Amino acid sequence: MIIAERKPIPKILRAIEPYERVLVLGCRGCVAICSAGGDREVEPVAAALRLARKRSGRPLTTGEATLIRQCDPEYLAPLREMAQDYEAVVSLACGVGVNLIADLFPEIRVYPGVDTTFYGANPALGEWQEKCRGCGDCILDITAGLCPIARCAKNLLNGPCGGSQGGRCEIRPEVPCVWHQIYERLSERGELERLMKFFPAKDWRPAGHGGPRQRKREDLQLG
Amino acid sequence: MSVTIGILCCHYTNQAGEEDFRLIPGTVIVKRYPCSGHIEVVDILKTFEEGAEAVLVAGCEKESCHNLSGSSRAEKKVLGARKILEEIGLEGERVRFAFLPRLDTGPFMAEVKKTFETALKMKSKS
Repeated sequence: MIIAERKPIPKILRAIEPYERVLVLGCRGCVAICSAGGDREVEPVAAALRLARKRSGRPLTTGEATLIRQCDPEYLAPLREMAQDYEAVVSLACGVGVNLIADLFPEIRVYPGVDTTFYGANPALGEWQEKCRGCGDCILDITAGLCPIARCAKNLLNGPCGGSQGGRCEIRPEVPCVWHQIYERLSERGELERLMKFFPAKDWRPAGHGGPRQRKREDLQLG
Repeated sequence: MSVTIGILCCHYTNQAGEEDFRLIPGTVIVKRYPCSGHIEVVDILKTFEEGAEAVLVAGCEKESCHNLSGSSRAEKKVLGARKILEEIGLEGERVRFAFLPRLDTGPFMAEVKKTFETALKMKSKS
């Protein structure tokens, strides 16, 4: 899922400084699962904004709502009417949601309430770890399902580097060296020859270096 | 100087009534919950919005919480609320947590008084 983290309240306050009526809009997609922007986060963010503004002598009125998803036009459709009573929207969705609101509703002033951070898994309560960087040219078939692009601090394609010590990364010793893990895993399986093959230099264009990415499936398109 | 405090507590931490709170020379907002594990960060923030200068969250002692981990969860919610308070320039000490014996009003009221003292301190600073 896409992982996000609530922005510091003062940053959100600065963005909405001119306004007196603001809609705090959550999303029940990834940001709800990673406890950054779902129903349970909308209320405390709105309360914190109101409390801060009340104490500064400029009370703020907030609306609070959560949509099923903010990354699909059909779920965003009610927003035009919902936002009518407000001068601005603080979206707690990932950057995709904020962008789609900005694309679909140019008249709505939308501000992000979270920082979108990475694609990650939720291995334990209250903990999220990056597992994928969405580079668009997946090599997990070669690396025993462990991604060196997302999980190696240097994004190495030919690790481990000289800083890998005792199976730990030199950048942050609490992080396992993913290349050490890849080697161990393939070794256990008797598949080390996968790493002996030459493969061409990685094509970084699908990683976004060729501009904004899009995917189309004509069989699903109408008309 | 009028001072308001908020008390968010598990129903089983005390049997305090109006006569007990009358001993506090200020306004006391009391919110009772079936378990302190039900208390959310937003409940604490809303109590500040209602005018509290300091808030006490009270849960049962860890080994006596009848929902096993309710009071431990409440303690963490207090940390979450404290973080938000500090972000917006309020002292984290304005919100306190206390593990209390079940249905013993004495220790509960002692914590209420400490919270009132914190509120007084905060009010005099502002």
